[in-house]
Amino acid sequence: MIEVRDVTKRFGTTVALDRVSFSVDQGSILGFLGPNGAGKSTTMKIITTFLAADSGSVTVGGVDVLEQPLAVRQRLGYLPESVPLYHDMSVDEYLEFVGRARGLDGARLRERLDWCVEACGLRTEYKKRIQELSKGFKQRTGLAQALIHDPDIIILDEPTSGLDPLQIIGIRDLIRSLAGQKTVIFSTHILQEVSPVTDRVVIINEGRVVADGDIGGLTQQAMGDNRVYVTVGAASGEAEAALADLPGITGLKSMKHDGDGSRFEVRAPFAQDLVATVAGLANQHGWPLTELHESRYSLEDTFIELTRAASNKREVA
Amino acid sequence: MRNSMVIARREFASYFNSPIAYIFIIVFLLLTGLLFMLNFFLVGQADMRGYFGTLPLLLTFFVPAISMRLWAEDQRQGTFELLMTLPMQPAEVMLGKYLSALGFFAVVLAGSLPIPIMLNVLGNPDNGVMVSGYLGAFLMGALYLSVGIFTSGLMRDQISAFILGVMACLIMWLLGQTFVAAVFDGWVDGLGRMLQQYLGMTSHFEPMLRGVVALGDLVYFLALTTLFLFLNALWLEGRKY
Repeated sequence: MIEVRDVTKRFGTTVALDRVSFSVDQGSILGFLGPNGAGKSTTMKIITTFLAADSGSVTVGGVDVLEQPLAVRQRLGYLPESVPLYHDMSVDEYLEFVGRARGLDGARLRERLDWCVEACGLRTEYKKRIQELSKGFKQRTGLAQALIHDPDIIILDEPTSGLDPLQIIGIRDLIRSLAGQKTVIFSTHILQEVSPVTDRVVIINEGRVVADGDIGGLTQQAMGDNRVYVTVGAASGEAEAALADLPGITGLKSMKHDGDGSRFEVRAPFAQDLVATVAGLANQHGWPLTELHESRYSLEDTFIELTRAASNKREVA
Repeated sequence: MRNSMVIARREFASYFNSPIAYIFIIVFLLLTGLLFMLNFFLVGQADMRGYFGTLPLLLTFFVPAISMRLWAEDQRQGTFELLMTLPMQPAEVMLGKYLSALGFFAVVLAGSLPIPIMLNVLGNPDNGVMVSGYLGAFLMGALYLSVGIFTSGLMRDQISAFILGVMACLIMWLLGQTFVAAVFDGWVDGLGRMLQQYLGMTSHFEPMLRGVVALGDLVYFLALTTLFLFLNALWLEGRKY
């Protein structure tokens, strides 16, 4: 649905984007991650035809954004990072204006206004001036604006920034409810926001794509090995020798041993079912097991690992 | 055109959403009315030449104040990105904004209508001359506004947009003044007169004060207005790269 191919963009001498490529399938949700200043907003501005790339191409639904910008804009709903609100208008005036500017009229406009107000939870604030709204309601008004014309592609730049946890959950549920029918790209630098909404992420750092895939796969790629922590009620030397003899082990570290038992960190490739192997071993020797679990890599670990690896590679090169 | 009208309606309404619009109208009408009335009782003639005569200089300050917010405000509050991703040509958005400013200027100008009414009550003025004076004032405002909307796009805040707009309008006014033309003629013979003829505004506005509406003068105003609007559209396209 959205194809970004080798997009490069410079601002003066700074390279904001360096041969960025990724694609999003119809009906799927893409989390677009990266630290501040990585190039997320610039990429989104290019997809939404607000900026033009220096080189490379972007197509939306098969239509090139430079050749037919109006056809692309027609299909897009866009929430920019700085929420585009007219503070002197009321919420209903504002949404009506955007609706009309997007070609809606009459009964269809009424129907869409109703839907947006309901979906974005704006009923109570509908008649208020935008300048009187709280940050959360401003954000929701911005979101309503992006959805007013029922677009099939939705680009949201930091849709949850500045919101409190409850509001974040609200926006998250809304985005999730769009899955299947709409194609969504949303950016964020807060990683916990991604996994509840989607598996598919693109991570960008210093203008380059450093990772593209589902979260699980990326974790394996970034971390290399699976780690299992095990505590057994056995003599440390005996347990260590037995663990080291297991097939496919790539690392073994003795963490501590005291009256409760001996604790180890065992590493092996992700492909192997390490927990089952270790459990089998303990069972075989009749060791009491008090701890056995895989390390839960958070998206943070993956993110830090991937962005650091990418930066290091650039420094070496 | 429907697209432009959607934009124009919002922009026009937003002029009246802030108290600045009302202050602007009152100050403008008081100032021009006062200047006119001072002379009116001295001269004792039932015409508006004095009224329109003050406009070329006054409008160099007042018109950029109308147009300064047109792009600068959108750039500041982020709505520029919204406007530029609407499914319409940037030029249509620009035209809508321009029409709203022109409409506001027309409202301000219409505020002076009590003067011709008063003249008709007091004396027997030549209404044709007054109509051509209003036409001239409207065309002059339209030209200054096209300069102002262009400078508004170049600046990110309203004050800089205002100052740049005043400077540009003032230059157009100065080039039309004979004493300025004489200075340029002193450097390169004929240069000052050429600039006065083609860029200076006064020589095209004065005939309308006397009731003479010449095709050449209309072409002058319309062509320059179109030129600045075209430059504005060009800037909107070039900005992307």
